[in-house]
Parts: sequence; structure tokens; C-alpha cells
Amino acid sequence: MVVAPFTISGYKVDFLTMLMVNVILAVSFRVITTTGGWSLAHVPMMGAGAYATALISGKLGIPFWFSMPLAGLAAGLTGLAISYPLVRTKDFSFFVASFAAGEAIRLCWIRFKIPFGGHRGLGVPIPELISGVPALDFAEAIPYYFLTLVVTIICLSLMYRLDNSRIGDSMKAVQSQEALAKSVGINADGYKMLAFFIGSFFAGIAGVLLAHRLWAIEPHQFGFTTTLYLLVWVVFGGSHTFAGPIIGVVVLTILGEVLRPLADWVPMVYGIIIILTLIFLPGGLESLPSRLGSSAGKTWKIRISFGD
Amino acid sequence: MISSFYALIAVGLSLVFGVMHIVNFAHGEFYMIGAYTVWVLFALLHWPFFIAVGAAIVIVGLLGLVSERLIFRHAHGNVLSGFIMSVGLVFILQVAVVEIWGVGKMKPVPAAFPQVLDMGGVSTSWQRFIVLPATIILLWALWYFLAKFRVGRGLRASAQDPEAAALYGISPKKSAAVAMLLGSAMAGAAGAFMAPIMSVHPYMGHSVVWTAFVVVIVGGAGNIKGTILAALIFGFLTTIITTLLDSTIANLVNTLVMLVILAIRPQGVAGHA
Amino acid sequence: MFGVWVIKEALVAILELKGLGKNFGKNVAVNEIEMSVEEGEIRGLIGPNGSGKTTLFNIISGFLKPTRGMIIWQGQEITGLPPHVVTRLGLVRTFQLTALFSEMTVMQNVVISCHIHTGTTLWQQFRHSAETRRKERETEEKALNLLESMGIADRKDEIAAQLPHGHQAALGIANALATGPKMILLDEPVGGMNPTETSETMDRIKMLRDRGITVFLVEHDMRAVMTTCDKITCINFGNKIAEGAPQMVCNHREVVEAYLGEEMACSL
Repeated sequence: MVVAPFTISGYKVDFLTMLMVNVILAVSFRVITTTGGWSLAHVPMMGAGAYATALISGKLGIPFWFSMPLAGLAAGLTGLAISYPLVRTKDFSFFVASFAAGEAIRLCWIRFKIPFGGHRGLGVPIPELISGVPALDFAEAIPYYFLTLVVTIICLSLMYRLDNSRIGDSMKAVQSQEALAKSVGINADGYKMLAFFIGSFFAGIAGVLLAHRLWAIEPHQFGFTTTLYLLVWVVFGGSHTFAGPIIGVVVLTILGEVLRPLADWVPMVYGIIIILTLIFLPGGLESLPSRLGSSAGKTWKIRISFGD
Repeated sequence: MISSFYALIAVGLSLVFGVMHIVNFAHGEFYMIGAYTVWVLFALLHWPFFIAVGAAIVIVGLLGLVSERLIFRHAHGNVLSGFIMSVGLVFILQVAVVEIWGVGKMKPVPAAFPQVLDMGGVSTSWQRFIVLPATIILLWALWYFLAKFRVGRGLRASAQDPEAAALYGISPKKSAAVAMLLGSAMAGAAGAFMAPIMSVHPYMGHSVVWTAFVVVIVGGAGNIKGTILAALIFGFLTTIITTLLDSTIANLVNTLVMLVILAIRPQGVAGHA
Repeated sequence: MFGVWVIKEALVAILELKGLGKNFGKNVAVNEIEMSVEEGEIRGLIGPNGSGKTTLFNIISGFLKPTRGMIIWQGQEITGLPPHVVTRLGLVRTFQLTALFSEMTVMQNVVISCHIHTGTTLWQQFRHSAETRRKERETEEKALNLLESMGIADRKDEIAAQLPHGHQAALGIANALATGPKMILLDEPVGGMNPTETSETMDRIKMLRDRGITVFLVEHDMRAVMTTCDKITCINFGNKIAEGAPQMVCNHREVVEAYLGEEMACSL
């Protein structure tokens, strides 16, 4: 991953950068599914981060280093806000309500030209981190790749840490048997909202990285089509384990790239793959080892420090 | 006008969800294929309009049947799986249509009844007007089927309590197939009637399906009467707001109304079937 | 008999229900229930199917909000508090069907159930410092002890869903005990069990009382209820129709009528 960018074309470097952004998106989505909710508002949360950084670093002129965490925070708080009504809903209603919430936010970007720029969106400045050093000109593909790489590693580490902590355990309990979790003292609604906050925060960070590479964002990028792709990645790879969504994103995105000559057919290929996956391997790729006999991937990974 | 076409689509969706607990996101694509069928048969091949519509209904109904047999049956009632499967179906159908007929927008379908109808000062084309009685006839036919025919009653029983229904000899698989057949056929019918009115292109299902969902939810998923009522309400609401403000706001309002209803009364205005 | 009643008056009522009622629309599921459970008691709640027993449990444990009335726990009103708060106050319930985190191991089940006693804050859990690790070890030891006392420690690494029925029930109770309760609401603890398993479970319940935990159980198995409970309350159509010593309740005219058509093993 470190040497690669120097050996391939600029286009491919950007491809890898976008791949990492999507990995953060998928893993942050899993944080929310860990408490049982499949939120269709997640991609708009990425958008929230993107719009936030466009406004903070663009209109307000705050440097990238501060803009990124602030934008992430904005996305996180937005996620927290919508989670409050959402935790009252279940299953189908949750699905639809989360979609509605995300869509409402997106419609605001379209409708309110001031400050969101309407259909044309907003311009996003190039991050100026350390001026005067040519190797660190973040308008270029390779430096930006490394920037994304570092941020991705940090984000994934944080989310991994969360997943393997007692907080992660409690979240998994909420997903497993919500009523039982409540009766052993776990504040299920609270954990769901926490998951929304954290998941949306990291989705926002992904949005920031996206925005500062593309130098412009517009509402359509964060629409339902992107959400559909996210769902396909996560269902294909599986969401039980930490690695599941990562596998899903990477395999399907690379597949899509390999099939670039047949670009028109790619959505259909995805459609067929996902239907076949749901029929024959409902747990996603991550469940393959357990299907083949080993016990990995079957149970929740909850850390027990002794006796294992 | 708008209400009736929403009603047709939404009722189909509601039926499928009520019986199979599947959120069929590809419902919009069924609508689209209904429209394309009419385009091919009526605009290109010059079949008579109503025959083209009939063909559309049959074709899309069969498409629904095949989807159920091949795809949705394997979801085993799991809402999330069913939804993702339908997403896969959406991708498949959209790409198929694009590859066969191209992406170019607005395939013009000439109005079968271009004469203008004057109703007390408000003039509209016959073409648009026909949608209303057609919808009423189709919905009445559906009601009749659900109430009077054994298979139809079996469908309703399956929706309420699949296990009990099975004990009475009503196979859930058969119910699912019939529900899917009818539900999709209705979407196809809506598409067929709307073909001369709206622009026919591969992504037309997209814009329609969201409103359909809103209608279904507000009406109460699985509850036919509620869905129709909701369709009426939303039809009026959307038309008024679009005329006064713009369609984006109309969308926003629809969405917010739905959120509010979900927060206060999650089973919809009329409640579950 | 009179002497026994006098002594009972002196015991502390740990749970009191005053005028508790619950309507679902027009349907009155629970109607003006007045009762109190004394500390250290084993109380049984019986009634035919659909009489409102589960609804009552759901209300007491916080899963449902009552339409009317009050719940007083250890002298404090807890009406309307959510389940996780009620548990923290020392009142916990078990579930008939969903008593376990099925895809997790036995050990994991109990460790998670120790949630309120881990003694660490969210931030500490995230940082996972040495201090946190130490506290976690303590929790795990506690969990292991609990498993041993329930007799299922030897299966600690098995997946909960794969345990035999009797062990699953034991684990369900272990999960509840992990919260350190003063009173436990048992929902059909011997449902679907053979006589041996039933007898083991009822012994465990008596053991709970010996540990100072008050027990309030709902059960259909009359024999089990008669032999284990100190006092029985019977409800029908959401109303309390009898309350008192097992023999008395069992022979009460209204109770016999309520169960007409259902089996009632009253003879002991």
C-alpha cells in the first residue's frame, strides 16, 4: 500500500484514494449496524461532513487541519440529532424513517441555495497544510493519497478499538436481543444514539476527504444511488465482523474497475452478485470460513481475556 | 389524476408488503417496464392503445411472478434481505432497459386521446382524464378479487396470519406468487397509463417509487383502504404545493409528513391490515 | 393461621402495586391491581392464558407504561422508568423465549450481563487502560463464579443456542443474577421442562431466596408453584381474584372456575 502509488498511473492512485474513502464509509456504517440499525441516512451523513468542510474551510477560511475534525463533528452531531426520533422506530419503520431523514437533509442542500449552493453544489478549497514544500502539494494525487492513507489508518484503528471494547460488546448485545440487553441494564436507546454519533462522525470524515480531492461537491453525489452501493458492499462482505465491510468494498470496487470496459453492465453485475449472495451465502463473504467448517466468523468476537 | 396513479402504484406495493413482508424497491422498475411496453407496442408498433395497456399489465405481472419465484422466495420474509434483493433487481432491470433501448430521455408516446376535455372551466386532455376511471376499475377489480374469490381471500388470510392460513390449506408460496403477480401488474398498469403523459426513460421508476413508499407508509403498510386514502391526500397535497411553490418543496413536505406520521402513529393512519 | 398473618405484617413489602392498570385501546389488559410482595418471599402469579400475567410483568419491569396506578419498589416510586434503570435499582426480569444472547458463548453472555457492575466509564472502556483490564478481570471472575453456582461452568465456551434446554434456562437465570438484583421476576421458569429439570430449577429458585433475593414468578406448572411458593396471587381478565397461601388459593371458588377446562394439579 505504501509503495504502490509510485508505480502506477495518477488515475489509479486516485482510484485507491477513493477506495479508502469508501472503506471508511463502509466501516463507519457497520458501527451503526452493530446496534441493529441499517440506516439509509448514512451517505447523507458523509455529505454533511463534505458540506461542512466546504463551508468551514471555504467560506470561513479555516485551515484544513481544523476543518476536518470540525466537519466530522458536524456530521456526528447531525447523526445524533436524527437518531433521537429514529431510535423509537423498528425494522421497516426505521429503514424508511432513516431514509426520509437523510433525504430531508439532502433536499435542504438543494432547496437552500444560500448557503448550500443548490443543485450546483459548492466549491471546496485545496487543503493547504504545509505551504512551500512541493512534495506536500495536496492538489497532486500522490500526496493526497498518503494523506488519505494516514487518516484512514487512524479512523480504522479508532473504530477497531471501539468494536473490541466493552462498548462494542454492549452494542452487540443490543443487536442480539434488545429486550434482554435492556433488562441487564444496558441503555439500548443510548447506545444506538452513540453508535449514530460515532458512525456519522467517521462518515463525515470520509466526506471531508472526498470533498477536498474533488474540489467540488453537489447533492447528487450523496443520493440514494450511493446508498444502494453502500448496502451492496456491506451485505456482500458481511457486517458481523470488522473486516466484512472492508472486504465487500474492496472486492466489489476492484471488480467494478476491472470491468471498466463494460462499464454499463457493472450495476447489473452487482445486482446479480448481491442476489446470489443473499440466496446462497446470506452472511456475506465473511461467513465463508464458517460455512466451510471452521468456527471463525460464526460468533461475535467479544474479548474474554483469560480462558481463551 | 395524480392521486389515482399514486393509488395504483402504492396499492400494488402495499399488497406485496402485506403478504410477503418484502419491501420491493424494484416496484418502480415494474412501473417503468409497463411504460416501456406501451411505448414499444403502441408508439412503435401501432397496436391499439388499450391492447397495449393490457399487454403491459400481463407482461409486468409475469415479471413479478418470475421475480418472486427466482428471487424473493429466498428472503424467507426477512425484510432487509428482501429489500436488498429488490435493490439487486433494480440494478438488473435498469441496465437491461438501458442496453436495449438506450438512455435517451423522453421517448415520446403520442397521446391515444389527444382531444381536450373541458370540465367547467378546467381543461385537460382526455388522455389524462382516462387514468381516473381506469384506476377505479382496476382497484375495484382487485377488491372484488380479494373479497369474493377463494384465492383472493386466501391472500388476505396469509397477510394476517400465514401459519393459520397454511393450516387451512392456503399455501404461503402460492399467496406470495399471487400477491407479487397482482402487485406488479398494478405497477405495470400505472406505467402503461402514464406513458403518454410522463416522459418515458429508464430511471422514471426512481422518482415515482419514493412517493409510493410515502403513501404506503402513511396509509399503513398492507392496508389497502388506508393506502388509497393516503394516495388521495398526497395527490392533492403534491399538486397544490407544486403549483404554489415547486416540486422540490413538495417532495420535502411529503417526506416530512411521513416522518411526523411515523413518529406519532407508526402503523399509519389506518393501521396495519 | 392468625399468628402467621401477624408475623407477615411485620415483614417489609419490597414491591407494591397500587391501582395498576393497563389498557390497549379499548382492551383492558390489567385492571386496578393492588398487591405487595414481601422481601424474601417466593411469590407465584398464576392465571389462565391471556389473563394479563405477562403484561403485568412487562409493566413492573418497565417494558410497558401503565395507564393508571403506581409501582413502588423499596419505598421508591418507579412507575414509568425504563427497563435498564429498573434493573439498576435492583429489580430484574427473565424472559421466556429470549433469555439468552444466542450467538454468544455462555461466558460472554454472563460477562455482558454484568454490564452495570463493570465499574468503568465509557471513556475508560475505550482507552482500555491497565486499570480497565484489571476491572475486567474481576468481572470475568465474578461471572465464572456465577456460572459455577448455577452448575454450568463446564460449558462456558459453548454457544448459548446449542445448549440443552435445561442449561439454557440456567443461563437465563445466570444472566439475570449477574445484575446483582434484590428481586427477580421469573417468566415461566420451567416452561417446557420434564419433571427432573423442573425439580432442579425449583431447587435453584429456593437457593435464590436463601441468598436473600426475593422471587416473583409466573408459571403454569401448578405443582411447581404449589411446592415452591410461599404465597400465590391469581389473576384473571386482568383482575386479581385470589391471594394467599397456596392451598387456599388453589381451592378458591373463583380460581377453580377460571381454570375450568385447564388442568390444575391441586392435590398435594
